[in-house]
Amino acid sequence: MTTTATVAPPTSTDDPSPQRRTRRRTPSALGTYLGLGVLFVVLLFPVYFGLVGSFMGSADLTSFPPKLFPVSGLHPENYANALEVIPLGRQYLNSFVVAALVVAGQLVTSVCAAYALVFLPLRARTFWFFLLLSTMMIPWEAIIIPNYLAMAELGLVNTIAALALPYLAAGFGVFLMRQAFLTFPMELRDAARVDGVSTFGFLWRILAPLTRPSIAALGVWAFLSAWNMYFWPLLITQAPENQTIQIGITQLQSVDANDPGMVLAGVALALLPTLLLVLFGQRFIVRGLTAGAGR
Amino acid sequence: MNRLSRTAAAALAAVLAVVLALSGCGGGRPEGSTAVPAADALETTQGLTEITFWHSMDATNGIALQKLVDQFNAEHAGRIHVTAVFQGTYDDAITKYKASVQSDTTPSLVQVYDIGTQFMIDSGQVVPIADFAERDGYDLDQIQPNIAGYYSVARRQWSMPLNSSVPLLYYNKDAFRAAGLDPDDPPGNLAEIRAAAERLSASRGGPVQYGFGAAIYGWLLEQFASTSQQLWCDAENGRNGERVTQALLDQPTVVETVGWWQQMTADGLAVNTGRVTKDAQDAFKAGQTAITLESTGALKSFATAAEGKFELGVAPYPVVSGELAPGAGPSIGGASLWISGLGHTEAEKEASWQLVQFLASPESQAQWHIETGYFPINTAALELPQEKEYLAANPSFTVAIESLRRTELSPTSTGCAAGSMPQIRKASEDGLERALIGGDPQESMTKARQNVGLTIENYNQAVQ
Amino acid sequence: MGTVASTPVRRVRHRSSSAVALLYLLPALLVFAAFFFLPLGRSIYLSFQRSDLFGRPNGFVGLRNYELLVTSGEFGRILLTTFAFVLLTVVPSMLIGLVLALLLSERIRFVRFFRTAFALPFAYSVATAAVLFGVMMNPATGAFNGLLSLVGLGPVGWLTQPPWALLSVALTSVWMQVGYNLLVLSAGLGAVPDDVLEAARLDGATGWRLQTRIVMPLISPQLFFLAVTGTIQALQSFGQIHILTRGGPDRSTTTLVYSIYDVAFANNNSNFGAGSAQAIVLLLVVLVITGFQFGVLERKVHYS
Repeated sequence: MTTTATVAPPTSTDDPSPQRRTRRRTPSALGTYLGLGVLFVVLLFPVYFGLVGSFMGSADLTSFPPKLFPVSGLHPENYANALEVIPLGRQYLNSFVVAALVVAGQLVTSVCAAYALVFLPLRARTFWFFLLLSTMMIPWEAIIIPNYLAMAELGLVNTIAALALPYLAAGFGVFLMRQAFLTFPMELRDAARVDGVSTFGFLWRILAPLTRPSIAALGVWAFLSAWNMYFWPLLITQAPENQTIQIGITQLQSVDANDPGMVLAGVALALLPTLLLVLFGQRFIVRGLTAGAGR
Repeated sequence: MNRLSRTAAAALAAVLAVVLALSGCGGGRPEGSTAVPAADALETTQGLTEITFWHSMDATNGIALQKLVDQFNAEHAGRIHVTAVFQGTYDDAITKYKASVQSDTTPSLVQVYDIGTQFMIDSGQVVPIADFAERDGYDLDQIQPNIAGYYSVARRQWSMPLNSSVPLLYYNKDAFRAAGLDPDDPPGNLAEIRAAAERLSASRGGPVQYGFGAAIYGWLLEQFASTSQQLWCDAENGRNGERVTQALLDQPTVVETVGWWQQMTADGLAVNTGRVTKDAQDAFKAGQTAITLESTGALKSFATAAEGKFELGVAPYPVVSGELAPGAGPSIGGASLWISGLGHTEAEKEASWQLVQFLASPESQAQWHIETGYFPINTAALELPQEKEYLAANPSFTVAIESLRRTELSPTSTGCAAGSMPQIRKASEDGLERALIGGDPQESMTKARQNVGLTIENYNQAVQ
Repeated sequence: MGTVASTPVRRVRHRSSSAVALLYLLPALLVFAAFFFLPLGRSIYLSFQRSDLFGRPNGFVGLRNYELLVTSGEFGRILLTTFAFVLLTVVPSMLIGLVLALLLSERIRFVRFFRTAFALPFAYSVATAAVLFGVMMNPATGAFNGLLSLVGLGPVGWLTQPPWALLSVALTSVWMQVGYNLLVLSAGLGAVPDDVLEAARLDGATGWRLQTRIVMPLISPQLFFLAVTGTIQALQSFGQIHILTRGGPDRSTTTLVYSIYDVAFANNNSNFGAGSAQAIVLLLVVLVITGFQFGVLERKVHYS
């Protein structure tokens, strides 16, 4: 499939802060607020319930109908309980290690490959470009069985390495970096060559620093996708101390005691890094997402 | 340019080194065999024999198991060391076990769920417990006969049960009183459960929301066949040395049970909480249902939840209709221990056998039972003073003991041993679920039988 | 595509020079070879093989795995469920995202607050969202049935009764997706030049007419992008189904991807042959649908 590249909306959409329209305030302003208000209540209720519920006791959450705010006091011990039942601390670390490996891997493989595709003399450039991009068209689920078998044969089942290895490169990463490099002024490249800057020196000292926003966007995207993985970690790890937080929180449900507050506390813990990213790193997320693909 | 080439070459070398190191992991394992080792295999081996033990016991059960393993390690300090590793749920563990067969890294000892029995036999990886017992004159009769029967195929015991449970009927005595029912006369068959539920359910003006509620759990359907002395699979439940070719999911007993269950739900007398057993347990604990079906494993958490809220009643597992025939009763559930042969030294096999004997001893089983609530698999355990004390304090557990003691060993009471048993169980759940959401009971169960028929056929072809 | 040919590089016809580029391509190529291309070949190979007890290939069986798939009677239902799930996920999440983006493009106060708030669901992973919705959809003690009972409705068997189960899983997915769609569409709307809108307004276009005739075509690249990526993502959904329904009740939420998992990894199945046949079908479905979208839908897209 060759057309993936054109999926991306025009690059101007990278601008994350649209200017206020100079539209006149119409009688429909009330309707606008009303519509936003209704959608706000409906769409944000799960967020509210998830966060407030994580501080609520079983008495409130399992009574019928359940309370929507902590009637019988706050229960911060839900968090301590969640950490005790499942090795969430260890799993948190696992998730970070895997995410860090994936981010590092994808930055290196994507930047290098895009560099070769844009700046270096290369025969059959189009072929290599589409070969790398074709991986975006292969649904991961369609090749999950042989990947699982390969890990089993290598004796890597239930290891951190198995969690990260297949994700050290991504077609989307190559695509994103290539788009960024294509807008790089050629004069700078030629000037560098005249000054005798080496191939690697140009990449490391000039290109990478000047395309930092795109590299950061790729890093954020890679982090999000690695942190949120579910299917692969579910298959490839069994022992709780080797699992990621995403798998860990689903195990909180199967614990003997019926304690939704503790389950919601686990969810809130797993959510924290990505929540912070969405709150404070939206700029990078929008740049990364609008440039090509989702999770 | 030169520097770059060197960097690249170094990177390439590093990648190759990693790949080589990874692929080297599986190497260096002894070939091993599934023959029983010589009795002095440990004595003739120098130094420490290390074995790995994979299990699926988490939380309280995991702690209790680790405690036993620690005791064993202390007793055999310097000679044997056991590393127990939790491998996730039963399903996860068997999946991991299959992966380990491929990479030639099987554990020395593995705990596998009841329905994995025939699969483990077919795997060709293990040394039968019976062979060890024969060599040592170990008395396998000390294992509770119904439990040993489950893990015996063609009269040969393959694995050692570790944790066993028996199905029971649990009921809320306070709700029974409030509904004007005799709290000491629990229902014994489907019609009686319905009669009680009609008095208990809110839809008929009763004191609880639903009279009855149990999980869509295939094991419970199997138990109705067992208490009604019906086979679950052909080839005498796979016990006569032939392979199972059919799961009898649409036999009259099962269809009657499914039809009854469907009617109960449709009439608002029972609640469908889905397949997750925990959800049905929660409903019972919260007092939303008054009668439920569960294993002895739930006894402890039910008792804790009932404390101060309601009086818990425990009764033998019901029959479909009439009364429990003499010698009839439920079959068991749980998991057992399998000793790996292929890929393991003689000393390792022997060390595993030592651990198995230790875990099956009366003392270990008494401790295990008291700490976890699982059924003690060694009959001698019940004679120990600590057990007598426990049973005096927990009289409801004697219901389970009596219920199993009364049950005669027969193909119908040992459950089905088929390689596809995990899929057969799921198929029965598919059928029950389809009926509960409105399908015709007969049609639903027939469809379930047909669907799983192909899986059974595939399995039988694969092992030929 | 045109962009590729115009890559601004001075072609140096030197064999040795190409080698440097290949070195830089190598890390990515190694990963792709090991975890994409090789497995793809192996998937195809496995789909023609019988599996032994451990899932190892155990003899060539020709098209039997495909034949069993098509004749089992379940396959049509699985495809239908898959497509229903895709529609129930992609269409509502795009509509809600669009309505939100349009409302937020109005000249109102607190736009920043609303935009950040509505983007919050995007922070949820499939596991966190599904576990959260699972708690709320609990049949006995869930908040959803609790809220319904306050207005005298229910209880609804969110996860235990078809067709509710599929709707519930789709609802969870839509919720996760809306924040993302909003971010993308807002970015698109932000890029619509004000003078275009002013000109349209001077021509008398207002309200709904303005939105549908002028604004929508201008953000059609974003809408198309979301349709494509949303469809592919919905086709690949697994976590919410695994966590919420395990493909049930009565297989009513068993999609193609869940079925692959079910056949290959659940219940001690290890039927990697049959699973691989379904995996190849999944690959074809993804290729055909995206091919269709590019062939038919893209023609209606307005690229400025």
